[in-house]
Amino acid sequence: MTAPLVVFFVLAALAVIGAVSLILQKHPIHSALSLIVVMVALAGLYLLLGAEFVAAVQIIVYGGAIMVLFVFVIMLLNAGVEERTSISKLAGAPGLLLVVALAGFVAATIAKSAESVHAAPQTGELASTLGISNMIFKDFVYPFELTSFLILVAVLGATVLAQREKS
Amino acid sequence: MVPTNYYVILSAILFGLGVFAFIFKRNIITIFMSIELMLNAVNLAFVAFSQALSTARFLCCS
Repeated sequence: MTAPLVVFFVLAALAVIGAVSLILQKHPIHSALSLIVVMVALAGLYLLLGAEFVAAVQIIVYGGAIMVLFVFVIMLLNAGVEERTSISKLAGAPGLLLVVALAGFVAATIAKSAESVHAAPQTGELASTLGISNMIFKDFVYPFELTSFLILVAVLGATVLAQREKS
Repeated sequence: MVPTNYYVILSAILFGLGVFAFIFKRNIITIFMSIELMLNAVNLAFVAFSQALSTARFLCCS
């Protein structure tokens, strides 16, 4: 077992443990802290894949901004421990069935395509800041600007919804 | 080198856990967190495929 494989398994175990902890925790703030573990582990995996820019963005945007957003929302809404009603059998059985069906579908697809995807040698240019900035500001500049317009629309929508809540 | 399949399998596991949390959690904020988890799982698959398919020629054109 080589060193990258060991690092991969450690980070993957960290991510899966964080995700399971997100499900098991009762309080939302504990779930948010578990999600931070998943985000940081995924950033390490991006580094392992040779995508340094994506890893940095993962730390800054997800580990920083989005988690601060979560914590603020939890504080503002004063969200407490989630109440445990007796879980509805009618809702639980189809949900579990859906999860099992999805996992089976994904596993079958991976097993079918196991030979078709091969690991390529690391190029170094992959997902570099130069390549990404070339993509964003040269080739896909109009979709990029459209995305910022979409964010503007989302901000306006949030403002309108908050206003309506107040009056 | 870690095989790409491992990344895809990890991504599928994380996505499945996100779906599970989305269905079974009661709190609306936690449901939003599980959506973020699913998004991150898909991101991992994207980055893994991007490396596997060696998209340097797409990334750094002209």
